[in-house]
Amino acid sequence: MGDRSPEDIKALFGRFFDADEAEAAGEDMRAGEQIFRTHGAPAPDGELVDFIKVQLAARLARRRRLALAYRGFAAAAAVIVVAVIALLGRGPAPPDSPNVTYASIMPTAVWESDDVTADDFELIYFDSEIQRIEAEIRALESGEVNVAPAGSVEEIELELIQIKAEFWKG
Amino acid sequence: MAESAKVARIIDGCKSGDPESFAQMVDMYAGRCYGYFYRLTGDRDISDELLSELFIKLVEKIGSYKGGVFESWLFRIASNLFHDHLRSRQRRRKLLDARRFELERVSDEPRRSDAKEETLDKLQVQLNRLDPDTRELIMLRFHSELSFKEIARIRSEPIGTTLSKLHRGLKKLREFMER
Repeated sequence: MGDRSPEDIKALFGRFFDADEAEAAGEDMRAGEQIFRTHGAPAPDGELVDFIKVQLAARLARRRRLALAYRGFAAAAAVIVVAVIALLGRGPAPPDSPNVTYASIMPTAVWESDDVTADDFELIYFDSEIQRIEAEIRALESGEVNVAPAGSVEEIELELIQIKAEFWKG
Repeated sequence: MAESAKVARIIDGCKSGDPESFAQMVDMYAGRCYGYFYRLTGDRDISDELLSELFIKLVEKIGSYKGGVFESWLFRIASNLFHDHLRSRQRRRKLLDARRFELERVSDEPRRSDAKEETLDKLQVQLNRLDPDTRELIMLRFHSELSFKEIARIRSEPIGTTLSKLHRGLKKLREFMER
């Protein structure tokens, strides 16, 4: 602070005041400095200074953690962007690949039917017919019922095969 | 010169987020800044608060320090903080004025601020008689140890105005102190 020496202050005041005023201003300045030297301001409490240091260290640590977190987010975002670009770069998959064949385990008529209610009724009907015929066969074989005329078992079995075939035909 | 090199090294450390450099900064400037705040407010609690805020601001803003006289930069922040404090105090005062009726009732009780004033030293009492602007100018001069040119720059006024105000203020303070 070059202009803090009395000579500089005198010169500085001399630029704005006449000689007497500049002299008086210089004198007031020196007196003011003396007053402030005599009546020093209180110093901050030692505990306050320590507290401020701790506060600053905590704030710096938090900033460092935040910076690391931002860097982590940025890296994750970059990975996601690269992955999205790579996926988009492949373009859409061909609709039908010649190397892949599809097979169905259900009859096409059933699979493609939109009439669910009707299909359900038919299923219930066929299922009950099969159960009825199986029960008759079991009864005939166990001899619980009157013996049917010759060939009736074969007829029933044929009927069962027919029903099953019809079912799978849809 | 060695001192300015030391300060430059500490500032570099602060800019890189080194807690030890900030601790050194606190050791270097806490006394002067505290004196500045105390002489402006006459209140240790407020000065404690303002000093803490100042160093927190320092952590936030050190990246924006682009060279020049560091004290000038630091005391500009200190001055802004003090003005923020004054504004918030004025807001509080307006609130209190709105509730004058209640205050008048309270005024019958012994005033806490009077009791506080008894503990102030002579200089503080006389400083409180100066207008706030002159008081701040004198405090900037004696606590920041900045040149008049730098003080004028902080206050955004011509150096002649700064000198004139300071001269009038010091003359008045000298008279008050000699009574």
